[in-house]
Amino acid sequence: MHKVRKPDLAVIGAGPAGLGAALAAYEAGLKDVMIIERDVELGGILPQCIHDGFGSIVFKETLTGPQYAQRFIDRVEKTDIEVKLNTMVLDLKPDRSITAVNAREGILEIRPRSLVLAMGCRERTRHQILIPGYRPAGVICAGAAQRDINIEGLLPGRRVVILGSGDIGLIMARRFTLEGAEVEGVYEIMDHPGGLTRNVVQCLHDFDIPLHLSHTVTFIHGRKRVEAVTVSRVGEDLKPVRGTERVVPCDTLVLSVGLIPENELSKKAGVALDPATAGPVVDERMETSVDGIFACGNVMNVFDLVDYVTHTAEVAGRAAAEYVLVGRKREREAPLRVEPGRNVKFVVPQILRGLDREVSFYFRVRHPERAVRPNLVVGEKALAGRRAKMVRPPEMVRVKAGPEELKSLRERGEVRIEVMPDTGGGGEGGEEEGDGAK
Amino acid sequence: MRRETRSPATGRKSEELPASAQVVIVGGGIIGCAVAREVTRYTPDVVVLEKESDVACGASKANNAEIHSGIGEDAGTLKQKLNVRGNYMYDDFVRGLDVDFKRQGLLIVVTPRSLPEEALRSMGEDELREMLNVKIPEGIMAYGEKAGIKGLRILAREEVLELEPNVTPEAVAGVFDPNYGLVCPYKLTIALAESAVINGARVLLDTEVTGIRVEEGHVRGVITGRGEISTKLVVNAAGVFADEVADMAGAGGFRIHPRKGATLLFDREVTSEYVHSSVALFKLPGMKKERSKGGGAMPTAEGNLQLGPTAVEVEDKYDTSISAEEIEEIFERFHYLLPEFPREAIISAFSGVRAPTLDEDFVIEASERVRGFVNVAGIQSPGLASAPAIVEMVMGFLHELGVPREPRADFNPLRPATPRFAELSDRERGLLIREDPRWGHIVCRCEYVTEAEVVRAIHSIIPARDLDAVKRRTRVGMGRCQGGFCTHRVAAILARELGVPITSITKSGGASPVFVGESKDMLMRG
Repeated sequence: MHKVRKPDLAVIGAGPAGLGAALAAYEAGLKDVMIIERDVELGGILPQCIHDGFGSIVFKETLTGPQYAQRFIDRVEKTDIEVKLNTMVLDLKPDRSITAVNAREGILEIRPRSLVLAMGCRERTRHQILIPGYRPAGVICAGAAQRDINIEGLLPGRRVVILGSGDIGLIMARRFTLEGAEVEGVYEIMDHPGGLTRNVVQCLHDFDIPLHLSHTVTFIHGRKRVEAVTVSRVGEDLKPVRGTERVVPCDTLVLSVGLIPENELSKKAGVALDPATAGPVVDERMETSVDGIFACGNVMNVFDLVDYVTHTAEVAGRAAAEYVLVGRKREREAPLRVEPGRNVKFVVPQILRGLDREVSFYFRVRHPERAVRPNLVVGEKALAGRRAKMVRPPEMVRVKAGPEELKSLRERGEVRIEVMPDTGGGGEGGEEEGDGAK
Repeated sequence: MRRETRSPATGRKSEELPASAQVVIVGGGIIGCAVAREVTRYTPDVVVLEKESDVACGASKANNAEIHSGIGEDAGTLKQKLNVRGNYMYDDFVRGLDVDFKRQGLLIVVTPRSLPEEALRSMGEDELREMLNVKIPEGIMAYGEKAGIKGLRILAREEVLELEPNVTPEAVAGVFDPNYGLVCPYKLTIALAESAVINGARVLLDTEVTGIRVEEGHVRGVITGRGEISTKLVVNAAGVFADEVADMAGAGGFRIHPRKGATLLFDREVTSEYVHSSVALFKLPGMKKERSKGGGAMPTAEGNLQLGPTAVEVEDKYDTSISAEEIEEIFERFHYLLPEFPREAIISAFSGVRAPTLDEDFVIEASERVRGFVNVAGIQSPGLASAPAIVEMVMGFLHELGVPREPRADFNPLRPATPRFAELSDRERGLLIREDPRWGHIVCRCEYVTEAEVVRAIHSIIPARDLDAVKRRTRVGMGRCQGGFCTHRVAAILARELGVPITSITKSGGASPVFVGESKDMLMRG
């Protein structure tokens, strides 16, 4: 009833990750590349991110989200990469076969020779953090509110309380204010902001929006539409402290309480996930545990910089092309596991199979620390690293290691990434990277 | 509260209030809609009045979807009698309605915590073993069999764990009751209402009853916010408000004290195989703190794990909130029964308000004081399970009071449901898309709901006019993202199909707008 398409590469998702991977693969020589996107346009979440701060690493200038996306869209349009918009992937099997659907062509069967997972992430909802109360209209996730205002032209609320000081929450505090809405305050359960320092300054301080650290929302009032929320201070155990409740009248509660890599399809394909990142376990080529399936961007773990998403996409795209054009050169030796060491929450890539290319390790720290050296460490020896004045959980850290540094890894035992106090001295390690924030 | 005749959600003039009807049913919950459908077997002249924007807006939409067997009810109550009979009747009850119903069974688990602590301390080891392994299971069996419940079986520990591997290893024995079933309660209510309409009934939404006209001890009419309907027969199926409606007629004498129950719902991807039957911990009578069967862990009709409900007395009949204490209580309770249940896979929590009377039994009676007024009150759990038997009993009164006893020859028992894209084969999907491309446009990414399904819900027999009504019919927004992706898409389809601005689309009717305006609205106002 329908023809089976067999492209060299299928990319699921047309955000910065999917676009970057498709272009990298195409430029590395793949002829038949297909991008599958469920939305009406290319760019993923970027078209709704109309603030600036994108691209300082990749393009050495700061762009808005739509501008950043457009650079890739323009490049895609110059190629004959096939783009399927309004197309939903329904099923994915370990042999990479895809069932998808759209209104124009009906059910599609696609059996690509390689596959890149670039589905991005989704927002955590109120129930995942168990906010008690009613279930009225007016409880909305920050990204959804951003889309409503910036793309749909709709205003979700006039008097707003924001829970969570992640970057999107901070940016939406400013965005609501610019729309003429009143932002009563941003409440953050932790004792430090969840977003980049720059966003705290530019989105809250500059607009006199109060940030209440160590606070959370403990009840949502209003049967039909939000009428108020109760906020409470939390103790060191992050539990609300009795007697600190305060009722804040509002018509909208905006949630910026975390992002979850979107891996439902990855699971269907049998891709192994890392509990620490909630994304696929990948190697230095961004290849997952399933042969010929690669992953990049926020589907692996949630990045704070789109520039890093682009980097991982390029690695994945080039590796997918190599997989199709050259065939497998996967080392048959046991893969080396890269462990998170001192003050490191997780590391991507989690494993190394080949040591023949430069690898960027991305990781988050567990707690803020000043004057440190994030290092790639083998046994007792630091192989690659750099200095940093300050590391904080919201800001992902990158350490690069070249083939020279990696070549001796196999003989030397345990490989880990760790953050050590900087004891001064010279040595290897470059400057701090610019902060190209989302 | 007076409501506009022109419904803000549709912009269309709501269906006219009829001048008269043979039977008027107050309340569009499971009972009201089931009675309406049954009445239409004999006469099409029946009207259902519902004050909310959809049917199934009270306890009928917020319960655990269980079709109990009656084993949890007190012996000798009307509740137990109707529950046992209702359960027996269920397969016939849902026939022709295109609603899923399956009997997954109930596993009653016996553990040392089935006994009070002082009993555990005072008993010797042999005595305790005899109690838990033999006496309690045999007691449960005997209790059920006496109530007329068939097919009960005693299970040894190994059988319990084989049936439900996630149950606590402290389990010593169990009793399996194969009669327990699952049905989607709001889908069933909608199906019953639609079947009634197919057979001539009228279901009037956004229509609140404000008075009952009684003259010389006889019902004469029902007064609503939109006018009066003259009738001689009123069925009071008003749920938590049944006492107030009965008082309007002077046919009351009972009090409903609202008691809410909260339930937690988990991601189907993670929990579809977590429990296969309903699973409940047995506790010796008298050990329970509150009046409730105690809840359990069970799959929904769609396969999500649900845990609950709680039982909390509340003042406000509209109190569908969930407190932090209730969430904690559920987690604590099930941490024992299912030690490793996946807390982090929670996707939703909901709460419904039960409608018990003070003596906790159903009140189903033709009023002796007001001829033509039938109370169907105090219908709390297991009301959904008892519904077929409740309807049977109510029909007895209605026939006495003048509803013809002769079934209509033209009664149509079939009410087809809209196909669900997610449940179709690729071949069936392909055929539908060729017919109407909107079947190929997915608007809900988690539940794979298509535009065609949303459009059909909006134009269905009981039309969906707000987000929650579309959600109940299609599952749009019920998945793990809880509407993050689809809300504006569904709102846009509602606006387009109803011919109204998107800013007038509500979540649940009334004052529940999804959007408060357009971007720049507030700036232009200055």
